[in-house]
Amino acid sequence: MLSRVAESLYWMARYMERAENTARFINSTTQVLLDLPRGASFGWDTLLKVAGLDALYHKHYVTANEADIMRFMIMDERNPGSILASIHSARENTRTFREVLPMEIWERINDLYLYTRDNAARATHGRSQSYEVLNGIIERRQSVIGLLVGSMSHDLAYQFLQLGRNLERADMTTRIIDVNSAVNLPEDATSDMARERLWMSTLNALSAYQMYRQHVGVHVEGPLVAKYLLTDPHFPRTVTHCLGEIENTLSVLVDYQIPLQAARTAWRRLEGMNFDDVSPAVLHEHLDQIQADLGNLHDAISRKYFSLHQNAAMQEQSQSQ
Amino acid sequence: MNTLTQDYTSGEFFDELIATGGQPRVAARALFEHLDALDAADLEERRQAVNAAIMTMGITFTVYSEAGNIDRAWPFDIIPRVMSKKEWMRIEAGLKQRLTALNLFINDLYNEQRVVKDGVFPIEVLAGSKNFRAQCQGMTPRFGVWAHVCGTDLVRDGDGTVYVLEDNLRVPSGVSYMLENRELMKRLFPELFHSSSILPVDDYPARLYDTLAALSPRKGTRPVVVVLTPGIFNSAYFEHSYLAQKMGAVLVEGSDLVVRKDDCVYMKTISGLRRVDVIYRRIDDDFLDPEAFRPDSALGVKGLMRAWRAGNVGIANAPGAGVADDKVVYAFIPKVIKYYLDQDPIIPNVPSYLCMYEDEKDYVLANLDKLVVKPANESGGYGMLIGPRATPEERAQFAELIQANPRNYMAQPTLALSTAPTLIDDHLEPRHLDLRPFILQSDQLYCTTGGLTRVAMKAGSLIVNSSQGGGAKDTWIVDVEE
Repeated sequence: MLSRVAESLYWMARYMERAENTARFINSTTQVLLDLPRGASFGWDTLLKVAGLDALYHKHYVTANEADIMRFMIMDERNPGSILASIHSARENTRTFREVLPMEIWERINDLYLYTRDNAARATHGRSQSYEVLNGIIERRQSVIGLLVGSMSHDLAYQFLQLGRNLERADMTTRIIDVNSAVNLPEDATSDMARERLWMSTLNALSAYQMYRQHVGVHVEGPLVAKYLLTDPHFPRTVTHCLGEIENTLSVLVDYQIPLQAARTAWRRLEGMNFDDVSPAVLHEHLDQIQADLGNLHDAISRKYFSLHQNAAMQEQSQSQ
Repeated sequence: MNTLTQDYTSGEFFDELIATGGQPRVAARALFEHLDALDAADLEERRQAVNAAIMTMGITFTVYSEAGNIDRAWPFDIIPRVMSKKEWMRIEAGLKQRLTALNLFINDLYNEQRVVKDGVFPIEVLAGSKNFRAQCQGMTPRFGVWAHVCGTDLVRDGDGTVYVLEDNLRVPSGVSYMLENRELMKRLFPELFHSSSILPVDDYPARLYDTLAALSPRKGTRPVVVVLTPGIFNSAYFEHSYLAQKMGAVLVEGSDLVVRKDDCVYMKTISGLRRVDVIYRRIDDDFLDPEAFRPDSALGVKGLMRAWRAGNVGIANAPGAGVADDKVVYAFIPKVIKYYLDQDPIIPNVPSYLCMYEDEKDYVLANLDKLVVKPANESGGYGMLIGPRATPEERAQFAELIQANPRNYMAQPTLALSTAPTLIDDHLEPRHLDLRPFILQSDQLYCTTGGLTRVAMKAGSLIVNSSQGGGAKDTWIVDVEE
């Protein structure tokens, strides 16, 4: 497999996953806002930090407010992580390796792009329309995944899609969990219930509420939710599960030792974490650490499999060998 | 009510499907019977089915325009062009004869130049050839073959004679559309393929692979064959991707390849560098190797010429093969065939006037309103003058161009190009067409069965290029008793 094609596949999967998870991230935020109790406030700046978009956002906008942030995350092409930009990039990437994918994939991705392009503006017109459009995007993206799982041979191309998807998913899960840190609750008797509701919206955003109730219990408590969403080995959006998938994928590739080590490091550190205290400051630190470990894992994958194509200097070097 | 074909009048030109007198030609009889059994609704249904299939199969080509590059659906006409096997056998023999001679000619031009010394081919034409590459002199590629893939455009004149209009020896495209057209027709008229003997075309990718694999410098191993594309913005990217897929070859861009100190070509894979044996390149000479040709090329591979000259990689078509793909050089090909093979050409050239010769130039300038004038090195139908259709201003402008650079122009009589019935709205109308068969040569010769029929979709138009509003038809070579 060509390095260039492997990298394009990897990024296509990341873009697609990012688009879906950004939609989930926004849905979660909207839920939180709807359930915000009297006296509570929402920190839009904190939200931007959680999404990792604060610096880029402030390049283009002055104040952090709901309308601008929604526009920025949903359809602003100046933000490469916006839903529309991500899907656009995924579509363009797909053009360059159509020959390695099942034929219908291109059509589904094209359909997803056209839907997003034509409806993104509507998603910024208030919360109810946003919910409908974002779910439309999530649905269409799920249909692409379904087609991949059901009709693509588990060859090398598939492995690189898996790597990209799982890495991006793990990272986005940590960010969606972190949305709650943007909420400042007043210190009174209702805040326990309010907290419970916040964690419920996090579970919902990750389509995890039902599974949580079945496998953990009916009580929605911060420490349990955080532990479940980060470390449950069986739920497909948890960091632990994604790391496991990455390990499986790496094991069928060549020269996997270094990336595998990075995946193990991330996993060991995650296993050692304690989630009894989920106050924003403490939890946020854990999540930051996980994100940094996932960043290292990405670097290791990139250096091992994509660098031949990325690095022009490498070309010179190989010529002089 | 009349049937579809009864309503069709073929007009003043030679019609591929209808003989003088209005009866279908023998090879087209089964098709006509079938068409007549369809009513308007059936036909519309089939047409919609074919359009849906084109979208589903993703058959597109790119049109360059000021509004950006647009991926357009392939314009396909559902009425095939039909030819009898008997006629085709003669054409096929002519095409093989022609490519054999062309390759002997190219190899001679880059080596002893006997053809020049013997006074058959004038040195000044060679000197003026934009596609003669000094970097290739003294080289003899494997089997002495330079043009491994040739797309030759054929046209039929009013009296039924088939002529060679031009040879495309650089990076001829269109074969994927030939294959896709057939796939579409099989979906559309499966009954016909069952009842009449239409010769298959689908062995092309396998034969192309064999042609390329024969160029591998390493014996005993399964050769690594790649298709080198300029990338997704090229109008033929669909074809590059299609052929790579069908041959099981790797589709690469210039940046995926590297030539190392050992003068071998490698591709950059996830497990390191891997040796490449044969490159089916779909980029022009100019961009192939910045070290040897245009230094500003970002599409090519530095050192590729070195690797090729050292015999460490096969390149198809060989660099420099385009020397014989020049509309002025074209005029000499009948003599070239006679010279190398001592045979008369089986398929004639269209009579041509070369503006480099004073008397012929005078004739061209005096008859601009009757002639088609072509520049030596353009393709895709660009930069041409169709005299009878041009305005006096356009003709005056061309006269100046010719005066300024006579070597660069040649002219031909405006042919009464043949037509075939084409579905326009809900009825058939005659439209002009040509035929591009593809011929392969390495250790063996091969010719596609038929080829790509291109049709000018506009009434009266002679321009068949897809970049300029042309469409395509499936081409049926039919085995019938005559």
